[in-house]
Amino acid sequence: MASDLPRRFARRAPSKVNPDRFVDIRVTDMNAGDALWWDRKFGPSHAQDRRRADRFWAWSVLLPMCHLVQLAKRRYCRPLVIWTRADNRRFVRAGMSILIDDYPHLDIADPSQSDFVWFISAGDSGVLTKELGVSDPPSLGRVLLDCAVVVSENAGFGGRIGLHAAPQGGQRLLDFYVKCGLANLPKAAGLPPSVTRRNDGRFFFAGAAAAAGLAALLDADR
Amino acid sequence: MGAVVEAVLRLSTFSERQILDLVSEGQLGELFPFRSKTQELPPDSVAEDDLVEASALPMSRSQKAALIQSSMPSSGARVGSDRLAAALAWQEEVLRSADEESHR
Repeated sequence: MASDLPRRFARRAPSKVNPDRFVDIRVTDMNAGDALWWDRKFGPSHAQDRRRADRFWAWSVLLPMCHLVQLAKRRYCRPLVIWTRADNRRFVRAGMSILIDDYPHLDIADPSQSDFVWFISAGDSGVLTKELGVSDPPSLGRVLLDCAVVVSENAGFGGRIGLHAAPQGGQRLLDFYVKCGLANLPKAAGLPPSVTRRNDGRFFFAGAAAAAGLAALLDADR
Repeated sequence: MGAVVEAVLRLSTFSERQILDLVSEGQLGELFPFRSKTQELPPDSVAEDDLVEASALPMSRSQKAALIQSSMPSSGARVGSDRLAAALAWQEEVLRSADEESHR
């Protein structure tokens, strides 16, 4: 039977080394210090990886910019940090996201509101292991999307989420979102009027049913 | 009006996809003149008891305002305090007018 209690954020994620093993994680709200720390600790490594869509993302600049730009559009951002347990039992930052609350749902066949996943990033496993003492880094892709689903569901948007896969992530990023269970909005499909630019075929979404399925995958780990 | 506010108003005419693309191309510095180099770096790790877990529930207006405030570097940082002050004053104005609208 489904619970009436609001869903919480996940508190465990599968290990990257062994997906059958689970790693403790925690979710906090992001502040300026988190963003600056991320830029200093992960920025140099991420910048060298040409496959990463986030190689040029400076979170300490992104964070205030996203808040202020969305305020100008009368919307709010929800920036989150995902922490993972290190070998010394303390927690270190391992993932970052900036969501936009109350965003038009991308699937115009289902006119409603959603949460838009604007920026998400998982920290490089090499940095986590070699520099931050995390010998068992978590696999955070699904968890980052799950946070958006949970926020959307609790806001009354049925868990609906949408995102645009940055072109710098190439086909690899598209494959990743498909693997996570998101639907690719066909290139010929229209977009809500306030999502102004043309559809380049890199928009993804989860409707209410898909979101419920995604959230259920992590319910044992909340 | 400060350069930050001008940049925000310009960026607010862009779609989220456009901003994502520009940021991913490494153009954020040109679009948003904001630096926070001198702020003190927080520690690498935190004890579990010291972590304040985020609520997954919708935030109140005052919680949202506090969250936005915490995203700005501390006032002692060398970020161009006039520009930051202008951005924060403007942010407060936006929040206040949104609050007034919601009470109409």
